[in-house]
Amino acid sequence: MEEKDVSRRDFFKTVGVGSIATAVVAGVREGEAAQGPAAIGPGDAPVTLTINGRRHQLQVEPRVTLLDAMRTRLDITGPKRVCDRGACGACTVIIEGRTYYSCSMLAVEAQGKNIRTVDGLSQGSTLHPVQQAFCDHDGLMCGFCTPGFVMATVALLEKTPNPTPDQAKKALDGNLCRCGTNIGVLKAALSAKGVARG
Amino acid sequence: MDSQAPAPAQHPKYAWPEKPRLIGTRVSRIDGPLKVTGRAKYSYDILRPGMLYGRIVRSPHAHARLKSIDATAAEKAPGVKALLITIKPGDKVLYPGQEIGALAAATEQQAADALRLIKVEWDVLPALATVEQSMRPEAPQVFTPANTRRGTAQEDGNLDTGFAAAAHTVEGTYSTQVQTHTSLETHGCICEWNGENLTAWVSTQAVHGTREGFAAGLKIPQANVRVITEFMGGGFGSKFGPDIQGLLCARVAKAAGAPVKMMLDRKEEHLTTGNRPSAFARVRAGVAADGKLTAFDAQTWGTGGAGAGSDYPLPYIYTFPNRRRTHTDVYINSGQQRAMRAPGHPQGCFVTEVLMDELADRVRMDPMEFRLKNLPPLAPNAMWAKYFPMGAERINWKSRHVTGDPTPGPIKRGLGCSANRWGGAGQGARAHCEIGSDGSVVMRCGTQDIGTGNRTIMAMVVAETLGLEVNQVTIELGDSNQPFAPGSGGSTTAAAVMPAMRVTAGKARDALFERIAPQLGVPVDQISMGVGTVLVSLSTRDPLSDAQSAARSGQAPSSRSISWRDACRLLGTIPVSVDGQWERGLSAGGTSGVQFADVEVDIETGITKVRKIVCVQDCGLIVDAKTAETQCYGGIISGLNYAVFEERILDRNTANMVNPNMEWYHMAGQSDIPEIDVVLVDQPERGVIGIGEPPAVATAAAVANAIRNATGVTLRSIPITPDRLLTELERAGGTN
Ligand code: FES
Ligand code: FES
Repeated sequence: MEEKDVSRRDFFKTVGVGSIATAVVAGVREGEAAQGPAAIGPGDAPVTLTINGRRHQLQVEPRVTLLDAMRTRLDITGPKRVCDRGACGACTVIIEGRTYYSCSMLAVEAQGKNIRTVDGLSQGSTLHPVQQAFCDHDGLMCGFCTPGFVMATVALLEKTPNPTPDQAKKALDGNLCRCGTNIGVLKAALSAKGVARG
Repeated sequence: MDSQAPAPAQHPKYAWPEKPRLIGTRVSRIDGPLKVTGRAKYSYDILRPGMLYGRIVRSPHAHARLKSIDATAAEKAPGVKALLITIKPGDKVLYPGQEIGALAAATEQQAADALRLIKVEWDVLPALATVEQSMRPEAPQVFTPANTRRGTAQEDGNLDTGFAAAAHTVEGTYSTQVQTHTSLETHGCICEWNGENLTAWVSTQAVHGTREGFAAGLKIPQANVRVITEFMGGGFGSKFGPDIQGLLCARVAKAAGAPVKMMLDRKEEHLTTGNRPSAFARVRAGVAADGKLTAFDAQTWGTGGAGAGSDYPLPYIYTFPNRRRTHTDVYINSGQQRAMRAPGHPQGCFVTEVLMDELADRVRMDPMEFRLKNLPPLAPNAMWAKYFPMGAERINWKSRHVTGDPTPGPIKRGLGCSANRWGGAGQGARAHCEIGSDGSVVMRCGTQDIGTGNRTIMAMVVAETLGLEVNQVTIELGDSNQPFAPGSGGSTTAAAVMPAMRVTAGKARDALFERIAPQLGVPVDQISMGVGTVLVSLSTRDPLSDAQSAARSGQAPSSRSISWRDACRLLGTIPVSVDGQWERGLSAGGTSGVQFADVEVDIETGITKVRKIVCVQDCGLIVDAKTAETQCYGGIISGLNYAVFEERILDRNTANMVNPNMEWYHMAGQSDIPEIDVVLVDQPERGVIGIGEPPAVATAAAVANAIRNATGVTLRSIPITPDRLLTELERAGGTN
């Protein structure tokens, strides 16, 4: 059936690069659900996401990524879509203390988890220490990669509050910046203080 | 003085302050907080009520003729609201990804599904994937009138004399690859019609130019079009108009009767939205025994894709008294080139600077001394002779060994250097300034901030002029409803917009004084600007020039001061509202800079680690030292990518790009970033000059020369990837 093929191709494109999505294969592979968990899709399915402490209920096709669900359905546009296949880090979010490329995780798979994006970091107009450090050290230019770098830095500092330069570089290696802000980014990562342990 | 003599160059009325308070300091980007919180809304982020998602229908082939196209199934597919085919049977496509139609559907997934239902039959024709294929005598003729276009020879001096005077000659073929802009925000827009009026949120470097492009392309009045770009995620020269995808987006939006978002995906971005042309140069050059260059003769070619040019400046910077150069554009079946960060210069710089090191070795001279001997004379826009020794000091040039690191073992160190030049002049920007009775200041200018820090330096100049702090000024930009400003290309924005800021804010200040003078009961020439205050002079002597410095130096007050707010309150209900524009004398063009590289090469793995880059760069009057420095870092990192990482790779048989993504199209990650030491040279007397492009030019050549110095192997081609380096090492006699 044409439609099935189509959605399966889309699905495999999504999981092709990252390994994090493989866990859900059994959950959404159409036509094979009789023995497994109840099949959902190919049409819209109800999805509940907890993002920055708020619960959102929405209807999306099972093939929709967490990134796209946030951006196109919930207007949470801090995470950016740049490569859409796990290569650039612009879509980075934090889930249970570690970074994920939200372009490479399905929305259905992110249910029941506490998802943090750059949009939820600041307290009102008070910037999170990492955000402040990025501003102070000019770790941004066009700013399109910045939300991803900020989240990767937050995840690093919540685990390792005083990273060595090598630790910081390694933690940020999953993010790309075309404007070339890496000098300011590294200074920010090494100077941000007062990040609470995650 | 003879009264007949021409008047001296007029001192601009709103000249830059001699002792600035803000200009030249380090100010953090004013839009930083919006960007680090995710609150900055880029075109890609915009959602409109009822918005549909658009996709472009594209050719999968590099060269093909359409046999038939059937979109009926797609038209009926779930969610599809509009579909448009712009190709007809018999038409040819000339590059992969060429646009042949568009559709819009309720969700992205539905749009993608519908796209696959379009049945297209092609006659696939032989494609040209490389310059070599295109230049073969037996190559199929794909382009009219020919696959190549040979330019006329540029000649100066006498080549025979030049080569006769040479003690040594170097001959070789040098080359640089095609790179794509790879802006993180892809090209695209949201188009929304209201009757016959179009509002478009576009990721563009030119809101006014894009408005013009929409009007021309859709055959509607410019007055009906509004283009908005509040934030944009990088362009690097590739985003100056609506492009085909923008016009198709507007058309499907009209047909669907709903707003449509059409943002390209990464592959489309690589294939169709521009690239830097490749460059090849077959060079013969001569040098006299005393180290003076004598002659330069080059045949050059390169490809800018399907029907686009590939010229670049050559020889670069150094003085070859006798020279000849002929360039040939070679067309292949790939997407067309566009201006990319200092168009042409990195190519010309690489070819010339690598050649310079080879020539220096022939006469056994230190490469920097050799350069100093062959530079044009010092001038404000040609300061290399001064900058080279400055950079040499910082890279520890005296530790340099001759070509080939004699240290035993696989790790070889090396140093290299190179020079760059750029224009960076600008003009034509207009602005409008309002001062409200509550003291608020709004400056509107239809320029754009593409990540350079334009918004921030605009606020600095306005604040400087009005005696305010940066956060007391509101900058509104990125909207074609604002006064005209040119597109942001060629590093021209700062030089175009800063004078407009200075003049318009100056006029607003004058207008404020005019308005409040009667209420203060003094003649207008007794009012001047303090810091956060307006000063009313108690005497009549020249208050405009000295009040501010007197206030600062704490001399006995000859004036009383009124707070800015109290002064503005005197305006009552009618704000100050003035127009202004760029004026001569506040900006200039012509920059120079040098770069040095320190590298470490593992000759067993072929991996180059760039340890440090030193950059000495001027850009006239520095407005914000912080963002100017960041521009240098950014340019250098882009040059590093060009040197050792990135390359568009086309399949030799199909001309399809094999790495249209971000995992195989390589760019530096955080661990690849060297230490970067930037020396910004301030030239306040020259006025503002742009700095976006100059620092991107010289890095690749400096790195290549450092690799040559480390390994003793001459690499005449970039990117210097491990496989290429190992091949060259092998050819040079194996690893030692
Ligand atoms: S968009 Fe997710 S990694 Fe690039
Ligand atoms: S700031 Fe532009 S891509 Fe990183």
